[in-house]
Amino acid sequence: MKIFKFFITKIFLRKAILCISMFMLLCLANYTTFIASRSILSTLQGYQEIKCMNQEGIFIANLDPDSNIDMDIIGETGTRIVYDYLNSNHKYAFYTDGFMIAVPNDDDMEISLCYMNEGYYELNQFDISHGNDLFFDFQLDKEEAIPVLIGTGLSKTYPVGSTIIIDEPVLGRSVILKVQGVLKQNSCHSNFYALNSKSYYNFSIFMPVNQEFIENANIDLQLNGLMDLIILDTTKEKTEDLSRFMYDNLGLKFNFFSQEENFDYFNDYYLYSLKIIAITTLILLVVITCISIWNALVSIRLMMKDFTINLLVGLSYSRLRRIFYSYFGILFGVNLLVISSITALNRYECWLRKDATFVTYGLFGLIGMDWLALLVVLFSDIIIGMIVVESMLRKIKKIPISLGVLQ
Amino acid sequence: MTDIINLSIKEKVYQDKKTKLSILNDFKLEVHAGEKIAIVGESGVGKSSLLNIIGLLDMDYIGEYALWNTPTGKVRGKEMARWRNEKIGFVLQESALINSLTIEDNIKLPLLYAESTKKKLRLEDYEKVVDEIGIRSILKKKPLECSGGQRSRAVFARGIIMKPEIILSDEPTASLDVENRERIVNLLFHMNKEFNTTIITVTHDLEVANRHDRVIRLERR
Repeated sequence: MKIFKFFITKIFLRKAILCISMFMLLCLANYTTFIASRSILSTLQGYQEIKCMNQEGIFIANLDPDSNIDMDIIGETGTRIVYDYLNSNHKYAFYTDGFMIAVPNDDDMEISLCYMNEGYYELNQFDISHGNDLFFDFQLDKEEAIPVLIGTGLSKTYPVGSTIIIDEPVLGRSVILKVQGVLKQNSCHSNFYALNSKSYYNFSIFMPVNQEFIENANIDLQLNGLMDLIILDTTKEKTEDLSRFMYDNLGLKFNFFSQEENFDYFNDYYLYSLKIIAITTLILLVVITCISIWNALVSIRLMMKDFTINLLVGLSYSRLRRIFYSYFGILFGVNLLVISSITALNRYECWLRKDATFVTYGLFGLIGMDWLALLVVLFSDIIIGMIVVESMLRKIKKIPISLGVLQ
Repeated sequence: MTDIINLSIKEKVYQDKKTKLSILNDFKLEVHAGEKIAIVGESGVGKSSLLNIIGLLDMDYIGEYALWNTPTGKVRGKEMARWRNEKIGFVLQESALINSLTIEDNIKLPLLYAESTKKKLRLEDYEKVVDEIGIRSILKKKPLECSGGQRSRAVFARGIIMKPEIILSDEPTASLDVENRERIVNLLFHMNKEFNTTIITVTHDLEVANRHDRVIRLERR
């Protein structure tokens, strides 16, 4: 320890510019690896999530980009006819979110309402930390409370069995909600078209939607629900009929993409993006590692006399190797700490902004995905560290420690 | 008398970016404990390379080398480092100091690698060595704040602080004036007389060389 301290304070830090440049290079390598690996992990997680919809017989609605998007001309009659048609001819999964309401809670967060029908709920198999599953055969009666699932954050104020009174934005009246269960911490939903983008359910309420609910809801919910509609157990012909029916009654052109089409899209788009991210990161890492090696070799050249004198008076190569590894261990450790702190601060910022859809819980503010990405960074650090240290030692051994070096 | 150095080199190849030289061909050296040996010869014949080999700094040669009757080929790197720390002292030119350390830290550098019992003993000797060599006034100075003579004495102090059995000295007086040269040579011989330390000196200075027990002249073959 004494020798290591000596090297740090009297040798390495005396060439501060080299230490700082090495630290910055490693920081760049670490941050690039962290961002890329978290992005890949997040996309893979989203891919797993979306996989349940990527089955034979499932078609996902997508508003045609060329379609008329003047929603003002669409009336409630049109949407009601469409839902009647859906109920009679199709099994479907309905989901829409983004309706924010004020519900008193310990963290003073705005609450996001997520509406889903039984088809969507069964398709996604949400994990519940305590309480019971959602049920959908409730009566939309003023007297009867609607069973809901809530996020972990909200459950501190509203435990299982408690009731919440809200001004329901889509029903346009006050309703009583009964907490049926609590979603697992950090449950989230990936954006269909950007799988690494997540909305967290920690401060959300899952509202069960049945036929009666849709009939009583305003046009906002009815239309929004159609945008991400998932048709189950169906055929291409039937979805084409549905698309025509929707166009006739709403004036909106919807495309329904099959399992194969989705699969191709995922492979073409997401896997390609993942490959690009991975390859770019790898190239960047190789470049940064090369610059780090160059920096290390310049350091060796400048410190050769110091190393040689130490080798003359009793330093061994094996001890020098240990010193280098410890030194790089410290550099990587500080780097990891910096990245962890930046990430934790970013996550904490969501709490400060009261951004209900992004607040998360985790050890030291970091969620599982962050820890996994840090693990990847640690692994890459071990590889970079080994390459740089062994290159340094090779260089030192190549210039034989000799009296000539000093003269 | 017992030989402490038994060296037989068949060939040593010296190579840098531009040149490749075969030196020290069929060279043999036997040294008794307490002997004073000077190695002379023109530049490039392998004087410093020989010192590197004797000092366990260079193992890249064809031949056999036993130090204290132990074949060095069988000694592990860690053990060699311990020998360099405890048993072999290097006295080099005045430039062989770490400029970022004070003279005191430079002199005490071998103590950093010493075993705790040895370290204690040598620390007790440190004050005596400093006074004998006459460098107390510059202990807190950095090498670049000292004169060439002062730096040479500091290098000498570092070389003897561990009371080595062998002192390898490479051109210790090369850049010194007559007064400082005398001082360093006397200090070396004092170590030999007082502690029976073996002295091997590489030098161009024939006057210094002739004051040793034996002079070995290396020649190009």
